[in-house]
Amino acid sequence: MAKRMIEKCVTAFAWLSGLLLTASVAGLMGYVFVKGAGSLSLSLFFGDTAPMDALLFRRQVFDGIFPAMVGTLTLVGLSISIAVPVGVATGIYMAEYATGRTKHIFGLFFDILAGIPSILVGFFGFSVAVFLHHQVSDRIAPCLLISALALAFLVLPYLIRTTQTALENLPRQVRVTAPALGASPIQTIFYVLLPQSLSGIVSGIILSIGRCAEDTAVIMLTGVVATAGLPSSLLSNYEALPFFIYTISSQYADHTELMRGYGAAIVLLAICALLFTLATLIRHRLSDHLLYGGR
Amino acid sequence: MLAQTSIKIKVRNLFFSYAETAVLKDLTVDILDRSITAVVGPSGRGKSTLLSIFNRLWEDIPGARMKGSVHIHLDGTDRDIYHPACSLPDLRRKVGLVFQIPNPLPMSIYKNVAFPRKLAGGSSKQQVMDAVETALKQAFLWEDVKDRLREDARSLSGGQQQRLCMARALVVNPEVLLLDEPTSSLDAEATEIIEQLILSLKENCTIVMVSHDMAQVKRVAERWLELSEGKMMANGRISAPACRAR
Amino acid sequence: MRTERLVQHLLGLAAACSVAVTVLIFGFMVILGLPLITGGAFFQMFTSPWLPSQAVYGIAPMMVGTVSIAGLALAFSFPVSLGCAALISVLGTGPLPALLHRLVRFMTGIPTVVYGFAGIFVLVPMIREWVGRGSGMCIFSAALLLAVLVAPTMILFFSDSFSSVPKAYLTAADALGATPVQKLFHVVIPCSWRGLITGVVLALGRALGDTLIALMIAGNATAMPGSVLDPARTLTAHIALVVAADFDSLEFRTLFACGIILYVCTTLMVIFTRRVGAVSERRLWRSA
Repeated sequence: MAKRMIEKCVTAFAWLSGLLLTASVAGLMGYVFVKGAGSLSLSLFFGDTAPMDALLFRRQVFDGIFPAMVGTLTLVGLSISIAVPVGVATGIYMAEYATGRTKHIFGLFFDILAGIPSILVGFFGFSVAVFLHHQVSDRIAPCLLISALALAFLVLPYLIRTTQTALENLPRQVRVTAPALGASPIQTIFYVLLPQSLSGIVSGIILSIGRCAEDTAVIMLTGVVATAGLPSSLLSNYEALPFFIYTISSQYADHTELMRGYGAAIVLLAICALLFTLATLIRHRLSDHLLYGGR
Repeated sequence: MLAQTSIKIKVRNLFFSYAETAVLKDLTVDILDRSITAVVGPSGRGKSTLLSIFNRLWEDIPGARMKGSVHIHLDGTDRDIYHPACSLPDLRRKVGLVFQIPNPLPMSIYKNVAFPRKLAGGSSKQQVMDAVETALKQAFLWEDVKDRLREDARSLSGGQQQRLCMARALVVNPEVLLLDEPTSSLDAEATEIIEQLILSLKENCTIVMVSHDMAQVKRVAERWLELSEGKMMANGRISAPACRAR
Repeated sequence: MRTERLVQHLLGLAAACSVAVTVLIFGFMVILGLPLITGGAFFQMFTSPWLPSQAVYGIAPMMVGTVSIAGLALAFSFPVSLGCAALISVLGTGPLPALLHRLVRFMTGIPTVVYGFAGIFVLVPMIREWVGRGSGMCIFSAALLLAVLVAPTMILFFSDSFSSVPKAYLTAADALGATPVQKLFHVVIPCSWRGLITGVVLALGRALGDTLIALMIAGNATAMPGSVLDPARTLTAHIALVVAADFDSLEFRTLFACGIILYVCTTLMVIFTRRVGAVSERRLWRSA
């Protein structure tokens, strides 16, 4: 009978854990949604400015999250275009060329890079900016470019790992077919292996975009500010969505501003959810497609 | 018919299918108590499935469906093993199964054999130790392993691993022992030991074994049951098993 | 043939750059923090309090803050994560466990700042009312929220290592009449304890390295916290808060000490998880 009790207790505990976790997440996110749903409107994005004028950059937007969204978008675009070539190339190198000790030690370094607290990556970006400011030019200070670089460093290990894993998980037959037909190693990689592992790599890239879009710790040390309007150049300050949410939470002046914070939180959550769903879909769709032939 | 040969397993109108594939069609058969019954037939015709029906191990296979009734005479009463009130762990302790490929758990030899006792609970350490020793002796393994009970079970040879799995099934005194091609992964020498072991177990258990090897069936089994296309092709007594005289 | 070589060199160069970044992050901190180390004030910092008025810049309170918030978060999160992982891969029946698995995977995509934002307006007032004093921003609140944040890391790692227990072991246990709970305790957990340890260490790394939750929820006080209901500042939040200050001040220099501690801790944890993982891989390979 005691055994039955233990059995029941353990099972109940597992279900309770699931319930507790679901309830916590649903509670936190649900609260943001319920409180912030009312603030979702065009004026959340554009304030008092006419949407078309804002979108065509004809007029400045105050009291709206449009500049922050543009800032985040620019930032993500920049850092991804820095990180993807380096990350994917490193991933290919790790999967196809590195062997033995080199592979082991490089792998260790990338694991460390993946584990470093993001604030340290931001701090590194900040130190580099200050270093360049003293050594190269006064015009360099924490700015959009420095943030983009630091964010690229942050997502680099993810890109390396996803690329490497996608390549290494290819079945052996795929790997030997092309060389058997006389393809060189590079031809094999670019004509066979990369296309075959594309789904894994692309979903890794999309998840990295998500990480860039949501990160706050890195950018708060490397040039993001509360009000800057649209970023004017690579060396200027900029606004970003996650930092906007952070600032509102710590120093909102009135109810309207707070509601704008809720709105921004919903928008950021929606963007991240969208990217996440996209990455999941691509991974499943593309791998089905590749597994079961072209349809 | 002799008085002591009562019916142990009663299968009535059994249908079984995986997804769309029918494996067993309207199977009705009786298996006698304390006998060795061999299930033979071409591969993929539901022989192993039939064994898994006797201890309900098929139930977590997605898409598998069953119709019909199976009664097993356990603990002195006739039990419908698919009745909701029938306890699954109890059933599986009373109806042991040994797989085609030996599957020792990643633990020591002793712990492997003691494992089912531990799951059942309610025995003292000494009782468990005695039961393990008895089971290992029953499985002809005691002499091989008595000095290395703490070693990892996976360090044993294939034949020894299979006997370990038999001991592990025997340690809870099952009434029925299901053997799914128990010697197909073993060499001739190991096979012979297992065959003798099976013959020696007949005293206490009803044994149902799947085999591909007709020579083996003739050496070991008293009754046989041939499945083909999901139906029973033949069912009968094997005259004068050569081995039993030994 | 020359293009072959060229492409190979380019790929190697990319890899070298990626390694260089990792080394540079540490290098920059050590070089910029060097005056501090040679000046002899470095080790004193780890034991002294933070008293700017007396020009004492120690990071002991922040170390305590970091350890207590991360440790408490893990203590909250571990049992729940273990329960969830068991539900997902062993004990659960019906469609709900799969849904939970999906939710957990989705949780990895929720922005930290949104957690923090929700925490400030949901959790902090609740804690404030419950405690009955202070602002509600304290170690306890931050640890609770951080527990939710690191749970997916543990759950996904646990359930992955639960599901990689060889099917043959599970079938063997089934055939011997093991109930799901017995399977969990006698077969699944003993077979995947390395995965459990790795998952916990990874989650600890996430908890130690998180900046925003502590920054937004823990109250950022520089005094040594006396209880879990006191506000505290973590090493990461300290870096975020002090960066704005003057670059050459001693106050700023403490950041390098914080950075070096965090970097060294991360590296040790990574080496540890690789060791544990490598051993289990080798083991599997040998027994296969």
